[in-house]
Amino acid sequence: MARSVKHSANRPPTPDEDVRDSPERDELTLGEIINIKLVESGEKENLMELVRDRLVESGWKDEMRIACREHVKKKGRKDVTVDELIRVITPKGRASVPDAIKEELLDRIHNFIRSAAL
Amino acid sequence: MSNAEDNKSSHDQLSSQVFLDLVDSVIADVASECHRVARLGLDRDLEVVEEELRLSVEARAKVADPSNNLETNTKYVVDIFGQSHPPVATEVFNCMNCGRQIVAGRFAPHLERCMGKGRKARAKATRSTTASQNRNSRRNTSDNNQLASGPPGFEENVRKA
Repeated sequence: MARSVKHSANRPPTPDEDVRDSPERDELTLGEIINIKLVESGEKENLMELVRDRLVESGWKDEMRIACREHVKKKGRKDVTVDELIRVITPKGRASVPDAIKEELLDRIHNFIRSAAL
Repeated sequence: MSNAEDNKSSHDQLSSQVFLDLVDSVIADVASECHRVARLGLDRDLEVVEEELRLSVEARAKVADPSNNLETNTKYVVDIFGQSHPPVATEVFNCMNCGRQIVAGRFAPHLERCMGKGRKARAKATRSTTASQNRNSRRNTSDNNQLASGPPGFEENVRKA
């Protein structure tokens, strides 16, 4: 009974691709363990909310929306797919996160990892 | 101390990974939202741009097309919304002075007659027997209709036009 992976989520495969069904296997990578701990403790959710708020405040989200609109204008709005939009804006999106926000997030994540005693 | 360093760098790597994961999620959200807006046509600005593009393409085709009757084109000019206007406005409405149904294109001449010629438009107060008598005597017509009250004699005005 494999959980269906949405084909529209065109993301780079996360390490726990084959572990999603049986987390009790011993071959979990460190990344996977961290992810599980993040989710279970609720910290992942906190971080998501923090990231969202910060990126909206800084105008990053608006910049991304503008970039999307530009692409839609070019391609014509009836043909665009979500995958395409993600593909188009991801490089710019990742690169344009303000340094302060990046620092803040990395700090918190670091602290979490340390406190998870790994 | 290499252990600690290794630890730190792998921690850094992990942190980066988590961070990128978070950012990717937000990017996916934005993309999904924009995709929805685009497909549902909710972005009015986008629609306007599309419409303008379409119209400019049409206009260019019209100009380039030699088979178009140029005479027709100069009479029926197409404006930026793609509507054509006949040279004389055709809408019919009621004159607020006399209440008749007037074609918009003929409204100005009608008003001249209806309200008194040009600058000599009479104020309501002067709508009296004396005034209409004066007007009658000044204009030498065979018609001697003298309306004592009510709206100025539009019938005699019509005849004079």
